[in-house]
Parts: sequence; C-alpha cells; structure tokens
Amino acid sequence: MASESDASSIATLSCARCEKPAHLQCPKCIDLKLPREQASFCTQECFKAAWSSHKSVHVKAQLSSIGDQNSDLISQGWLYCVKKGQARTPKLPHFDWTGPLKQYPISTKRVVPAEIEKPDWAIDGTPKVEPNSDLQHVVEIKTPEQIQRMRETCKIAREVLDAAARVIRPGVTTDEIDRVVHEATIAAGGYPSPLNYYFFPKSCCTSVNEVICHGIPDARKLEDGDIVNVDVTVCYKGCHGDLNETYFVGNVDEASRQLVKCTYECLEKAIAIVKPGVRFREIGEIVNRHATMSGLSVVRSYCGHGIGDLFHCAPNIPHYARNKAVGVMKAGQTFTIEPMINAGGWRDRTWPDGWTAVTADGKRSAQFEHTLLVTETGVEVLTARLPSSPDVYPWLTK
Amino acid sequence: MLKEEAEGVKMEDDDEEPPMAVQIHPDVSVGKVHSSSDTVSVGVSVITGYLGAGKSTLVNYILNGKHGKRIAVILNEFGEEIGVERAMINEGEEGAIVEEWVELANGCVCCTVKHSLVQALEQLVQRKDRLDHILLETTGLANPAPLASILWLDDQLESEVKLDCIVTVVDAKNLRFQLNERRDSSSFPEAFNQIAFADTIIMNKVDLISQEESDELEKEIHSINSLANVIRSVRCQVDLSNILNCQAYDSTHVSRLESLLEANKSLTTTDLHDSGVRTLCISEPQPINLDKVRLWLEEILWDKKSEMDVYRCKAVLSIQNSDQMHILQAVRDIYEIVPARKWSEEENRTNKIVFIGHKLDEEVLRSGLRDCRP
Repeated sequence: MASESDASSIATLSCARCEKPAHLQCPKCIDLKLPREQASFCTQECFKAAWSSHKSVHVKAQLSSIGDQNSDLISQGWLYCVKKGQARTPKLPHFDWTGPLKQYPISTKRVVPAEIEKPDWAIDGTPKVEPNSDLQHVVEIKTPEQIQRMRETCKIAREVLDAAARVIRPGVTTDEIDRVVHEATIAAGGYPSPLNYYFFPKSCCTSVNEVICHGIPDARKLEDGDIVNVDVTVCYKGCHGDLNETYFVGNVDEASRQLVKCTYECLEKAIAIVKPGVRFREIGEIVNRHATMSGLSVVRSYCGHGIGDLFHCAPNIPHYARNKAVGVMKAGQTFTIEPMINAGGWRDRTWPDGWTAVTADGKRSAQFEHTLLVTETGVEVLTARLPSSPDVYPWLTK
Repeated sequence: MLKEEAEGVKMEDDDEEPPMAVQIHPDVSVGKVHSSSDTVSVGVSVITGYLGAGKSTLVNYILNGKHGKRIAVILNEFGEEIGVERAMINEGEEGAIVEEWVELANGCVCCTVKHSLVQALEQLVQRKDRLDHILLETTGLANPAPLASILWLDDQLESEVKLDCIVTVVDAKNLRFQLNERRDSSSFPEAFNQIAFADTIIMNKVDLISQEESDELEKEIHSINSLANVIRSVRCQVDLSNILNCQAYDSTHVSRLESLLEANKSLTTTDLHDSGVRTLCISEPQPINLDKVRLWLEEILWDKKSEMDVYRCKAVLSIQNSDQMHILQAVRDIYEIVPARKWSEEENRTNKIVFIGHKLDEEVLRSGLRDCRP
C-alpha cells in the first residue's frame, strides 16, 4: 500500500456519539468535505440518534461557504482571481475544493517604482525573451561575472524571504506577507519576479496546508496549526534568484512537523549529491527514496528548473523517480531543486484561479527550494541561510 | 451559484430524517498510485508530411469513416502563437463531426513537467465521455522530433494521454524530387527528418506511379529508415490499425520491436541520397554492462562529440546479471532503458541496436558497443 498512515487512521476512527469503532460516515459531511472525525458513526442507529445535533455541523459549514465574511472586502475592491490572473470576479468561483481551503479575495495590484529595472512581463504579463530563448534547450554555463551577479541576487532573495518569515503568526493574512515581500524587494532595488509573470497577480507565492505551490496571497488569515510556504524570486540587475521555505504557524501537529522536516531533508539530501558529472535525473531518485521511506509522496507535476537571466529555463529537474531528464551537471550551471512532498497521495489539481495547485486528496503538502551553483568539486547553495536568518526550525537549532 | 448554495441551506434546516450513512473506505482512490485502473490513457498519433502529400485527406478519411471509434483530430498550426486550437471529433458510428475549441493552457510552462499542449489534450480527454484516440495533425512543422519529446511522457505521470506513434504521409509522385532537392550544402530537405522520425510511413497517391516506381520508392524510404512500417495508399485510405494503437513508445509493448530485430535481413542501409541519413543495425552476442551502456549512449546522444547525429534509436538488450530482456528507446536526446520481460529458456540472448541518424559511423558505434562488455 502506498501510504501506511491511511490504514492506521481508519482503525482509530470512533463513533462521534458513543466512541465505539466506526465504519460508517455521514454522506453530507463527505459532500462538504468536513473532517472525518466528527462524521463517523458505528451504526445507522447511532447516526440517526445523533442526527438532530450532528446536522448543525452542515449548516455552519454551508453558511461560511457562502462567503459572508468576505463581503466587506468585496465592497472595498478585493476580488477573486480567475483565468490565470487575467480576470477578477466578485463571486467565489465554483469548485469541488479538495480540502478545507478555498479561494479568498485578493487585493489590488501593487506598484513598482519606475526606477526599478523590470523584466519584459512586468508591462503586459507575457514574457517574450524567455520562451524563445535557446536557453530553454541548452543549459547555460555561467561566466564568473554572471555567477557574481547571481550571488548578489540570491542574497537579496534570501533576505526578502527572511523578512517574510519574521511576520508569520496566527491572524496575519497571506496578503500581508506579500506586502512585506514586495516592499523588501523594492527597497533592495529589485523586482519581484512573480509579479505579472504570465499574469500572476502578486509578488510571491504563499501556499497554505493542502496547497502544493503557486498559492496566491489573499485575504485569508493564517490560523494556529497551519503550515505555510513562502516562495520568493527576486530579479536584480536582470538576474533572478529563487528560494522557498515552509513555516509553522503557532502550534502545529506532529504529522505536519514530520512532513515539513522530511521535506527539508529531501532537499538537503538532493543538494548533497550535486557535483559535475551527476545526472539530473538522479535528483528524483534521491528525493523519492527519502520521501517514500517516510510514508510520504512526491508531487510529479512541478519540477526544479534552470535560472539566471531567465526566470525559468533548462534544465527541467523532476523530483520523482524513473524520469527521463536529459543531461549531466557541469560546473557553472545554476538551477533550483524544489521538492514538494505530500502527506497523502501525489496527485494535484488546480483551482479556478488557474494557478493554485492543491493536493487532490486535500491532505497537506510542504516544500523547500534553493538556487544552486555547480562548482568544480561540488555545489554552492546561493540562497543559503544567513547568520541573520530567523530561527524557525527546531532541528537546526543547536 | 448563490441560489444553489441558498437552497442547500434551506434543505438542511428542513431535514428531519438522516440520510443513509455510507461505508468508510480505506482512503479515496485519488491519492493511491495503483488506482490507475481507471486511467486508461488515450493514444496520440502525430501526423506529419509535406503540404499536398495528403494529410488532410487522411484526416477527412478518419473523421468521415464509419469505424465506430471516437477520434479527435487536432489541427495544429505550429510556428504561430499557440493559443486556441481546433479539435474535430468523430462521434463514432454515424460519423457525425463535432467541432470544438481546445484552449491551450497558454501559460507558464516554466516549472511544470507537462507542456501546455499535453495539458490541453488531457483536458480534452477529461471533457469527453469516451475518446478512443487523438490525432495531432501538424502543418508547417518540418521536424516532428520536438513534438515527440513533449508527448513522450514519463510513465510516472500517469497521464490520460500518451504518444502512440509518428505517422508521415509522403506523396509518391513527388517524394523523389523532394528528397533530391538541395537547399544548401549544410542542410537537407525536411523530408528526411519526417521519414527518419516516423514509426509508420504512408506512401500516398501510388495510383499516380507504376508498381516498379513504388517498389523503388519503398527501397529509398527504407534506406533512410528501415524500422518504419511503410504502407501504400490511394487517397490515404488505409487500415486504421496502422496508425492507431501502434504503441510505439510503450515500453511494455515489445513484440513488434522484437520481431523486427529478429528478422534475418539486415536493417543496415546504405545512404542512397548522399544526405548522410540512414539506418544502422549492430549487434553483440555477449551480455553487456548496464552502467556502461548508459554512459556510452549519453556520450552519443548528449555530448555529441563526434559528427554523428542520432535521431532515433531502438534496441533489445541482454544485460549482465539480469534475467530480463531490456528495451532501449530514444528520440533525439531523450532515452530510456527499461526491463521488458523475462528471457525465455530457449531464446538466444543477444544485443541488437538500431540507429537512425545522420553521418552514422559504423566502426565507432561497433567499438563503442564492444566496450560495454563487462
């Protein structure tokens, strides 16, 4: 069986009314994707007896699903994102949300000062240089001068991410995180690469709980127990640096802590094998082995990528095993490794906004990313933690 | 939408009787890797060829034919803004044609593993009740190789679509002229690429030439690509089993490859056109070392140190310390070697490798293979 955690969780489900072992579920709760623990019953009789009090759970869920709490924001001009960012709508888009999370309205577009050097998509949302470049087929070997620029950019990107990490706590919206990222990036003289990239509406990606990646910062407040990934890319002097980390919000349950730690280790182990002569496809083998051994699965739809003067270019680096990635690592190449690891199954779905990737089974997902440089003897982690980086991981604290 | 939800709330308030509770299943199938029983992927055949060779005729023949299959034909104009493409779907028995717009994801292909074309095809499959096959008709695409690379997905992605085969339609009357057409000294006509990368070649308009000329032409085609299946046709009226469900990229479907490589006639050809594009078959009786084979192939396909340019490669391999016959498949720089099935007791275990490409050097390839001995 692919995931041991599921078998054991069935065994421990108990009747919401009498606590005997449960084998039946309320069908309305299934429809509304409500937590199994309150929806399980031992027999139809117990279910019937519990019905009059149990059904209030449905009413509560449905009332909140109409989006009353967001009506204030809608009146202030916050809207839901649809069509990959090319359009907005005042009504919550229709979708069979895979978990508790849904789209929330997003704030209006943030401004970038005129003096900041911008990539070509800043104006009309469509990259032109990038998709037509030869660097989509050939992996660039960077010159010492390019490498120095990458070091600069990646350091700024790290500082911007750290600034975001410092504001994370229950009650803060992901929109506020975006504001911090946006302002920190501009203060450093850079452009937040995600902004308007193929119409992406914000300056970073914030991915909460079951969101795998590309979450759009919005009006939702972080809750105690959430995990949230913040993905930052900075464009400084025409050069991009990309990194992401998953953070704990308040007190997080043991399963989520293990998920995040294991994901961190997947990236660490992948980086450890980087050096000239190693096949790109080997990264997937390493990540997959560690994740599977921990009973977790690896997202397959998204991969690591080359980076430099282009945001995304060759090589493509899948994180799953038995992939056909082309090429071997050579000194002077720069690319990202960014495994996305799921507590449940590997499959993903995309929200109506056209960007947000969520786990198909609604279970949580974590991710970590670094921009790396292959050196003559190994690897240099360009986006590495700095002495000033906030202390957010217990396993890193000595 | 709001109305729907409001009604939902009303309904709940009035419910006095609980519904029937349902059995709890060990997790929903979405997450599990081996729930792929419900994902039977739809084959995609790429149709290429010169303008006027008969691609549209073939497409119309398939769309209008009463073959009982639901086939979607995507008319693709590569080289232009890939935005919205037209798909025409043959609704089966009655042969009614439904025209649909397939909107290509047209977005960030950046860090996604699947190209937007693949995503669009998957959406098409999801929208339709039952699609038996997809034909991707290419206009203005000289070389089908990039398309093959996009469509030849890793099995791990469990995609609803998979590359089935590349079909090239050639014009029997004009092919010889097209093959001999000289652009400049450094390049050769697109016809060579289209033939070299094909799994099936439809020699159309044979009614316009004599039997002898057809035989000669088939030899010429074979001289470039002796692995492809060549079929002659008039107005592209071919048996559809030649272009649908060929499973040419399916690592588990090996019997056709095996029989080809078992054949006594040599697959090695001589270059009749001075284009430098031909087929070469080499063999090695001893089991070889898998790691050495990978490194050797990667040197040829990725490093390209020599002047050789390999377009396609197919092989049956006898690997040291394994009781499994391994299959090698390569399109340009993408390759895979996978175990296919167990060698049977009576079988003569051997290595047979077929290369189709430009400026293939037999000696260099033979010695490279010999060096793969353990």
